[in-house]
Amino acid sequence: MIRTEGLVHRYGETVAVDEVSVTVDDGEFVLVVGANGSGKTTLVRHFNGLLEPDEGTVTVDGTSVGDDLVRARTSVGMVFQKPRDCFVAATVGADVAFGPENLGLPRDEIDRRVEEALTAVGMADRREERIDALSGGEQARVAVAGALAMEPAHLVLDEPFTGLDWPARSRVLDRLERLHAAGTSLVVVTHDLRDLAALADRVVAMAGGAVAREGTPSAVADALPELDVRPP
Amino acid sequence: MTLTYEPGGSLAHGLDPRSKLAVQVAFATAALVYTTPRGLAALTGLVAGMLAAARTSPLWALRELRFVLPFVVTAPLLEGATLGSPWFVAGDAAAPALASYRIVLVLLVTAAFVRSTPVRDTRAAFQWLVPGRPGQFLGTGAALVFRFLPVLQADVGRIRDAHRSRLGDERPLAERISLLSVAAINRAFRRADRLALALQARCFAWNPTLPALRFGRRDVPALALAVGLSAAALHGAV
Amino acid sequence: MSDTTTSDVDLVGDEATLNIARAALFAALVGAFAYVSFPFPGTPVPVTLQVLGVFLAGILLGPVWGGAAMVLYLAAGAAGAPVFSGGSAGLGILLGGKSSFGYLWSYPVAAALIGAVTHGGLELLDTDEIPVGRMVAGMVAGTAVIYALGAAGGMLVNDIGVRTAMVQFVLPFIPAEISKMVAAVLVVLVDSIRAK
Repeated sequence: MIRTEGLVHRYGETVAVDEVSVTVDDGEFVLVVGANGSGKTTLVRHFNGLLEPDEGTVTVDGTSVGDDLVRARTSVGMVFQKPRDCFVAATVGADVAFGPENLGLPRDEIDRRVEEALTAVGMADRREERIDALSGGEQARVAVAGALAMEPAHLVLDEPFTGLDWPARSRVLDRLERLHAAGTSLVVVTHDLRDLAALADRVVAMAGGAVAREGTPSAVADALPELDVRPP
Repeated sequence: MTLTYEPGGSLAHGLDPRSKLAVQVAFATAALVYTTPRGLAALTGLVAGMLAAARTSPLWALRELRFVLPFVVTAPLLEGATLGSPWFVAGDAAAPALASYRIVLVLLVTAAFVRSTPVRDTRAAFQWLVPGRPGQFLGTGAALVFRFLPVLQADVGRIRDAHRSRLGDERPLAERISLLSVAAINRAFRRADRLALALQARCFAWNPTLPALRFGRRDVPALALAVGLSAAALHGAV
Repeated sequence: MSDTTTSDVDLVGDEATLNIARAALFAALVGAFAYVSFPFPGTPVPVTLQVLGVFLAGILLGPVWGGAAMVLYLAAGAAGAPVFSGGSAGLGILLGGKSSFGYLWSYPVAAALIGAVTHGGLELLDTDEIPVGRMVAGMVAGTAVIYALGAAGGMLVNDIGVRTAMVQFVLPFIPAEISKMVAAVLVVLVDSIRAK
């Protein structure tokens, strides 16, 4: 379980996240929505300790994120916008292996994880291919595999569909649904709910750094237009 | 140059990267010491063997090296040239000509290595050679250069096209170069910021599991060759 | 989730991670610059931008990480990334396979020197605080190192004398180097204008 309590984050004078308390339960599918600058990206970057709180606390399974970064980053996997800049190796398999290698796992365990992660995103037969030769949708799936190879309990995706066309988007989404069904909790940051609202358990709508509304997708649907979020 | 790794099952593909690096270093050294007609003739035979071991055609490799070759040819011509009669002294051009031929040989050995060795193997060899944090910096850093070179080449190409159509070629050279550089550097730094976050999210560590390196029976002749070449170079230099 | 003892993982710190990412991207940029050539009036040699990359590595990344970036450039090239001029690569080139190998070895030294002179030590100044005079002095010193090692490499490998080395490895490039220094100054001025 990921939990923030009274979380405040400032960039200089600007308060980006203002006393936010949210939880993500194991196995849950949560959408974090809001306009540009509403603080949603800043919020989720606290979940794996990429940012440090100015005030408040962030815990994963009861342990403060700052106390054990490795644990936070293995249980909360993160996929970023523009995956193209997030690959560390020129070929698919070598990139997906990066996380498990950093954990110091034995070679056969790394191979098993790479195989499983690539299978989960439907890219198992593409291990030796050059990442640059892949389409945007395929790159997005390899980025997800890179996070999955850490075997996280939670997967956070920041605007995973930016720049993808519909077929690519639905293929990524299909893989996410399967992961969710298999027990991984998902946090998707987006300003575009079109086909996501039906799948999610809960929506956290942010405005001006604070949680403006929170509830099931149908319960918050009426509030979305004024939050400048494209309604489902 | 499209001289990059190609998966394959050749003898050279099966060698430990450390053996191949040792052969390269020994070869370059021996070639420096024996830049004589007889020495280079012998080394030419060796190069032919190495290219065959990597299943690389010499003609293909030379075509890949075509951008490098003009400089190699001009050196002996310049050295042989004089400012007055007789205009060209063949004797002065002989040594640079041999040196130029040596460069071609060394480049062919490089081609055989690059063709038969994947990046992760070379990285592992580096980190075996330079242990600890400096090795991890070198290994990861070099892998990142491989990853981002095509990305930044595309960036630079796009910026150049955009500037050409918008600014034309009238502005002074220094100004054009600086505009290109500013745009390219800003993009590179933004990419670096995003990359750094992604590295951290995946537990970027100083002590990761490294690719396994194992010398096999096939490496014995390669290592013997490296030792032989080094000994010959040492003998010739003393 | 497997319970690896997380305390065994020696994480690279935030600042070092960012510096490594920047150094690697800068090394790749110098590699990309090796492919960019401009015709230069008055010389037959087209100008490539690698050396500008070396200048800017020292100026923008400072002596430590600028030098480190150029070490990565050489390491990646040795491993086979086509980053050297003309898109060549390989350890053989660094070992004298190409007559221009002396320049390559000078890059880490030159970037570190330019960084140290520009910033007056190991601590980095903000881009808009960099004194132009010190920056130019740094680049002149760096250029001297690059061409001294470049000519020495040419003499060693091509078996030529000082006269030919000067003609082949130094003189044709000097006017273009001055253009690149001007360009580097403009880059820093534009950057600092943007930063304000």
